[in-house]
Amino acid sequence: MKNENVIYDSETQIMNLSSRFLVLYTFLSLFFFILCFRLWHLQIIQGDVLKVISVKNRVKQKKIISPRGYILDREGRVLVDNNLVSQLTVNLQGLDKQEKEVIAKKVGAILNLTETQIYDRINKSITQNGRYFPAVIADNLTIDEAYALKLLRIEHPLINIEEFIFRSYPYGYSGSQLYGYVSQVSKNQLSNQDVIDKQLQPGDMIGKKGIEKRWDNQIRGKDGLTYVQVDAHGRVTDIEDNILESSNLDPIPPQSGDHVMLTIDLDIQEAATKAFHREDHIGPRMGAMVVLNNKGEVLAWVSEPSFDSNQFLYGISNENWNILMKNPFKPLRNKVIQDNFSPGSTFKPFVGFAALENNVITPTKLLDSPGYFTLGRKKYHNHTKDGHGLVNISTALETSSNVFFYKIAMDLGIEKMAKYARAFGLGSPTGVGIDDEISGLIPDEAWKLKYRKEAWQKGEDLSQSVGQGFINVTPLQMAMAYLAIGNEGELYQPLLVKKILKGSNQKVVLKEFKPQLVRDLSKENAEGFKISPESFAAIKKGLFLVSNGPRGTARRYTVPNVQIAGKTGTAQVRSFNENEIYKSCLNRPVEDRHHGWFIGYAPADVPEITIAVLAMHSCSGSGGAAPLARDVIEAYMRKYHPEKFKNSDEKIVGL
Amino acid sequence: MDISGNSENKKFDFNFMLIILSLNLVGLLNLYSASHGVNTVGLSRLFFSQIIWLAMGWSVFLILTFINYNIIKSWATYIYFANLLFLVAVLFVGRTSLGAQRWIDLGFFRFQPSETMKVALILVVAKILTERIRPEGMGIKELIYPLIITLVPFAVTVVQPDLGTSLLYIAVVGTIIFFVKIKKSVLVTAFVAIAITLPIVWKFGLKEYQRNRVLTFISPGRDPRGAGYNSIQSKIAVGSGQIFGKGFKKGTQSQLEFLPERHTDFIFSVLSEEHGFVGSITTIMLFGVLFIIGIRIAQSTKDPYACIVTVGLLSILFWHFFINIGMVMGLLPIVGVPLPLISYGGSSLLTTMASLGIVSSVAYNRSLFQ
Repeated sequence: MKNENVIYDSETQIMNLSSRFLVLYTFLSLFFFILCFRLWHLQIIQGDVLKVISVKNRVKQKKIISPRGYILDREGRVLVDNNLVSQLTVNLQGLDKQEKEVIAKKVGAILNLTETQIYDRINKSITQNGRYFPAVIADNLTIDEAYALKLLRIEHPLINIEEFIFRSYPYGYSGSQLYGYVSQVSKNQLSNQDVIDKQLQPGDMIGKKGIEKRWDNQIRGKDGLTYVQVDAHGRVTDIEDNILESSNLDPIPPQSGDHVMLTIDLDIQEAATKAFHREDHIGPRMGAMVVLNNKGEVLAWVSEPSFDSNQFLYGISNENWNILMKNPFKPLRNKVIQDNFSPGSTFKPFVGFAALENNVITPTKLLDSPGYFTLGRKKYHNHTKDGHGLVNISTALETSSNVFFYKIAMDLGIEKMAKYARAFGLGSPTGVGIDDEISGLIPDEAWKLKYRKEAWQKGEDLSQSVGQGFINVTPLQMAMAYLAIGNEGELYQPLLVKKILKGSNQKVVLKEFKPQLVRDLSKENAEGFKISPESFAAIKKGLFLVSNGPRGTARRYTVPNVQIAGKTGTAQVRSFNENEIYKSCLNRPVEDRHHGWFIGYAPADVPEITIAVLAMHSCSGSGGAAPLARDVIEAYMRKYHPEKFKNSDEKIVGL
Repeated sequence: MDISGNSENKKFDFNFMLIILSLNLVGLLNLYSASHGVNTVGLSRLFFSQIIWLAMGWSVFLILTFINYNIIKSWATYIYFANLLFLVAVLFVGRTSLGAQRWIDLGFFRFQPSETMKVALILVVAKILTERIRPEGMGIKELIYPLIITLVPFAVTVVQPDLGTSLLYIAVVGTIIFFVKIKKSVLVTAFVAIAITLPIVWKFGLKEYQRNRVLTFISPGRDPRGAGYNSIQSKIAVGSGQIFGKGFKKGTQSQLEFLPERHTDFIFSVLSEEHGFVGSITTIMLFGVLFIIGIRIAQSTKDPYACIVTVGLLSILFWHFFINIGMVMGLLPIVGVPLPLISYGGSSLLTTMASLGIVSSVAYNRSLFQ
């Protein structure tokens, strides 16, 4: 029966409906069961796991940067220091475009930065460290800036002002190449580090050059770890209960890095730096200076032009980097060990040793030293047109006669000259313990055949005898070699690091380094090599005359009551034709001027201090380099032997 | 413990009111926690405005209890059309929120016609269905009117666009149709029709963000910082509450703002995190009791319209309840559905209290037919 249009009475309707309640209850129970089951599953079964995740959500590890160890001088004075600095960072997580613009605008107004500069810094940080590390916007905030930014943070919680201990180089330009600098670890270094010992994280500061690099593992220390509670926006927040209690996390205190005590004497270092800026007719010098005590401990180390290590701390700006890179005299290079130089006449003593030991001459043998020496069709010149007359080995050194050495070189030959130069450590790294030390070059016949595919020429003997030609040395090598002359045979390895001191307690000495004797040239070695006391006496006499003799090339640069000995040298940067050779050097463009050397020691009989000075483009060893050595020797003597100046001070006022 | 109301033998259902009141209190307690955290600035006023909403809600509830629902029944058609008018009006003068036009600003109150539309639909559809109750169930013919009545507001709400609410229309109307009984053949046809239209709607009917929501629900990990964030954080909040919870105002997920919308849509996560399994199950059970008392009212009335309306109004509450809790526990995709009586919000609270008021009225007036 069709009943589509029938409307039942309400009693029938209710009866129909009441039969449906069972269905209703069934479905209701089913849905409730689903909810309860899910609740039980989440809270009871997965509860522990989700609890851990909720802790991870709000507990963030926060690195406590360990202070780097100091770099100290031999008396414990701080050469490289730490400072407390404030830094502005911005959290990149949760930073949307709009907020970024607002922050850039407001922060820019406080710090006097353009919005583009701020975007650049953010982008730079993203490429360097990724999005999960806060980007550093500004370092070294002033108190006023930090205060204004802290107020801004109330509205813009993504910015953070953090204070921490940071490297600082109080002496700025002095010793920069030696101490090195720190800057943020590069992506390359991060991916190349030892898998087991993955200590470095993006943003960490590591030593990049010099001592900072070489001793980075000691100096860096171990960063500590603390845990902070953050909210969803990354803001650090406090909450009543102790977050560490519920999560079994213990903070790790930072261990400060160990201190490196150098052999450097700050007073001498400053005197050496100052010497490069001496005001005379030549003006400020460039080049290198290294000062040693009688055991080969480095007292001063200068490479000029220099740079301010502080500018690397926060990532050097492109502008400053370009200035450094465009400087033709390469401020970043450590010229004490990193560059090749012709020794010029400072090489002559080693030729002298070879001649004396091989009986080419005796200490008193006189040779004529006219204006030039002819080999084949070529003239080899002296420094003066008139020459020096009859000279022996000592007076030849005094006057820096080229012809005398040409003559003995003719008899000696390259192999013997090379052998004696090498015996004094030339041509190989000194092992001073900083990266990038080069070996220099003491050429011989085999070398030339191998690398130049040519036989050795007799004329090259002549060049070599006056320190020109293929020969290359570093200022440090020369200083060590002259120290061996002064000590009459004791060739040392240079010592830069005296002690490693415990970071938490400077009184605890972790390591101590003693001067290392490489060999004693006055004693016969296995190959029967030995230099006699007579030869030392003859050469030392020559070096004494350089500073004290009537014709000494450095006789004008003296220190009262102190006898200096040494050798000047002038290394040609390029060769000039006969007309130009005597042209006043100071009239030439700077880059064409000769390099001046002075290497010497004082006092002349039993040396305490040995100095090698390379004054680049200063035209001559006597005028360019010797005065610098003189200044430093005076500073040294005034410090360690003030009694020598008691009577003379009144007389030399104004010198 | 029903007490005799008056000489006409009318009865308040005090149990019903008591259970509503206790859920209100649970809601207030949680709102207090959710709005008084360490970092919350400017949220604490929500607590006080919610108390005012509650007072208004109870006024509406009591007024509707005393108005005979038959009067409302006679107005049902007008209510429906008036509501539809507002719903259309919203498209033109409504305020935009999250890309959708949902409410009309009445100054003190943001009137959301789609919210009241659910109630209006039940009132009017129940009226039609009452006349079509059949032992063997309704056929297609009987369903045409109810479907048209539902699909018009459905279409308008989809345009807003507010897909969640429009689907709720289908769910609540579907519930009473199913309750009244339909023929098996119709049931099967309906399922087949849904199976066919679903992929088409997915492809052409849904907007990008809506598709994203569903995808994110299926695999929340695919974008943990973006679309899946809410779902993941909510699950973490609920789960980390474990058995007894982290304590009042100590829920880290909510207090540290990992939980979004914690005073509205995710209020249950706050409750679960701070009061654990014990607190959550208690709250769910309170809802259970509310529904059972409500269904018993429907069972006890002798008026078929009252019966269907009661089931329908309860179904509005139930679907909100189920979708909201299912959503915060990661069972359902994130749709903006508040938890009735617990979530903050005047519009939701007033509508809920009005619905419950009508149910209460059914309870109050049921003796008339005895």
